Amino acid sequence: MSAGLDRRALAVLPDGERRSAHDAAVFNLREKRDQAGRAEPDFERLREHARALKAHALDHLDLLLERFEENASRAGAVVHWAEDAPALNRIVHQLLESRGARRVVKSKSMLTEECGLNPYLESRGVEVVDTDLGERIVQLASEPPSHIIMPAIHRSREDIGALFHRELDVPPGETDPVRLTEAARRHLRSCFLGADAAITGANFAVAESGTLVVVTNEGNADLGMSLPGLHVACLGLEKLIPGLADLAVLLRLLARSATGQPISVYTSLVNGPRPGAELHIVLVDNGRTRLLADERHRRALGCIRCGACLNTCPVYRRAGGHAYGFAIPGPIGLVLAPALGGTEEQRGLPLASTLCGSCTAVCPVKIDLHEQLISWRASDVPRGLRERLLSRFAAACLSSPALYALAGLALRAAWPVLSRRWPGNPAGPWLASRELPTHPGASFRARWRDRVRGAGP
Amino acid sequence: MSARERILARVRAASHHGVPAPAPFVSGPGRGDFAAFAERLEAAGGEARGPFAASALGSRVAELCREWGAGARVLASEAALGWIGAGPWQPVPRETDPHSLADVSVAILCGALGVAENGAVGLDGREARPRALPILCERLILLLDTSRIVSDMNAALAGLPDGALAHHHFTFVAGPSKTADIEGMLVLGAHGPRALAVFGIHA
Repeated sequence: MSAGLDRRALAVLPDGERRSAHDAAVFNLREKRDQAGRAEPDFERLREHARALKAHALDHLDLLLERFEENASRAGAVVHWAEDAPALNRIVHQLLESRGARRVVKSKSMLTEECGLNPYLESRGVEVVDTDLGERIVQLASEPPSHIIMPAIHRSREDIGALFHRELDVPPGETDPVRLTEAARRHLRSCFLGADAAITGANFAVAESGTLVVVTNEGNADLGMSLPGLHVACLGLEKLIPGLADLAVLLRLLARSATGQPISVYTSLVNGPRPGAELHIVLVDNGRTRLLADERHRRALGCIRCGACLNTCPVYRRAGGHAYGFAIPGPIGLVLAPALGGTEEQRGLPLASTLCGSCTAVCPVKIDLHEQLISWRASDVPRGLRERLLSRFAAACLSSPALYALAGLALRAAWPVLSRRWPGNPAGPWLASRELPTHPGASFRARWRDRVRGAGP
Repeated sequence: MSARERILARVRAASHHGVPAPAPFVSGPGRGDFAAFAERLEAAGGEARGPFAASALGSRVAELCREWGAGARVLASEAALGWIGAGPWQPVPRETDPHSLADVSVAILCGALGVAENGAVGLDGREARPRALPILCERLILLLDTSRIVSDMNAALAGLPDGALAHHHFTFVAGPSKTADIEGMLVLGAHGPRALAVFGIHA
């Protein structure tokens, strides 16, 4: 592992028990996804179709964007374009400010996490309440979401009980998820009823009809869209799909891949504003056209943000989403970060993986995630000094038989020392939770020589 | 050049129009009956009742409202009233501020279609009005003509009622509002209705 992920993982899920609980909770979603897939005879054909339709859509994105803009505008929505995160934040803030909107209810949008919309608005005096329960939990705890669809999955019910005791006045020691959810419901209901504006993301945007599609289980996006007079929807360019037939295929895959449900509870097709209200749609680039122009890596834009690759990833399951230091964690985050990430460390994220390929096996739109990672690694992703030195050393050893033999000799000699726990031991992180394996005492080449000689004529 | 022009120019440069659209997806054989629909709805935490003859519907719905211990404010849409007649409910007020619906105990509306593969009911924006009603109410009852059940989402989206996308929203609802955000434990009644019952009506 690298790009700082190993270091942060220990800070995020420090104790073994919490780490196992996190692993079990997300892998449970993976198992539900498998069951749902097996129960649906069309599942594998749907995945193949989804792959093909996304490839087609990304290759015709210019036409889809123009058609969507035309149809959404005809339905009464106002379409805005944002080149980057600052532009999105500015557009949304101006919309709110010009209408005197101070209290905003917001439903889940990974795009606005990526762009830092909440802190931008809050620093300008707008009160933003995240209304998805998991997002509200992490917002109250002043941390980012750790999973695309289960933002607070890294937190225990005891954590959440203590947080709600402090913030929402629930009795001390409350850990029952039903009563905690009820407390959040009461609190958020008053936020909904008092809101001046709603901000949502969108799961899909249908070009042929100008339709925004917003999917939730809790109904928080629907409540937001139903009450205040202003709705601002923020979405990345890659959400565009041609028609309703494409939407049907993707909806059949989305919830099955995410949680194993055949469909989420609320799937809203939104065309134009509510009578007497306003609908603004912000289409955001923020690095997406860069990825689109990169033939080798554009497939990552096919992602429908189901979270299946996170739930199956051996690194994500044990490290937790915060370890990635990027808004979108897990394998899909690793392949988006080089194009969408802002910092050197984020662009180096493709190095933080095992390349086991489990992500590719579950992706509903068949993004070749581990192949993408290999290809990013072959390009010039930023590497830390340790990574660079180790790579250079390994390359030298592997290209010189003499140096290879010498390095093996040195490593065997150092092995007993490396196996002991002492401060500064380079094998320290490994030894924190397990022993080094014993080695056979001689090199493979030496043993092979003995064996050939022993079995000789 | 505006942001729109600059973005579109970059997208145009990368859109080659060489990848054909896949041939239309053809679903495998699926069931489109009320029993299959009911099974999926109940798996999603909803409740399916019937199907009933239209003449029995009013008393069955009133029965469930009693069972639920419905509060004072039970609202039924005009179309729903056409099926259930008079009872312990009032018509949805016209042109009302959605905030005034926060105390609605039960809302009774008609579904436009049902989807057997997932237990979802399609709510037309002309029926679910004000839009806040089916999501602010404590409990929701949907009446569904069983001849309007289709097998899957492909059929549902291919067969939307005329004008369904011309009235602000068309919403698929599959079960009561739910969350699993605390340790993955399923809890019903996150923000919206705590319970959902769908009454099938004999075609």
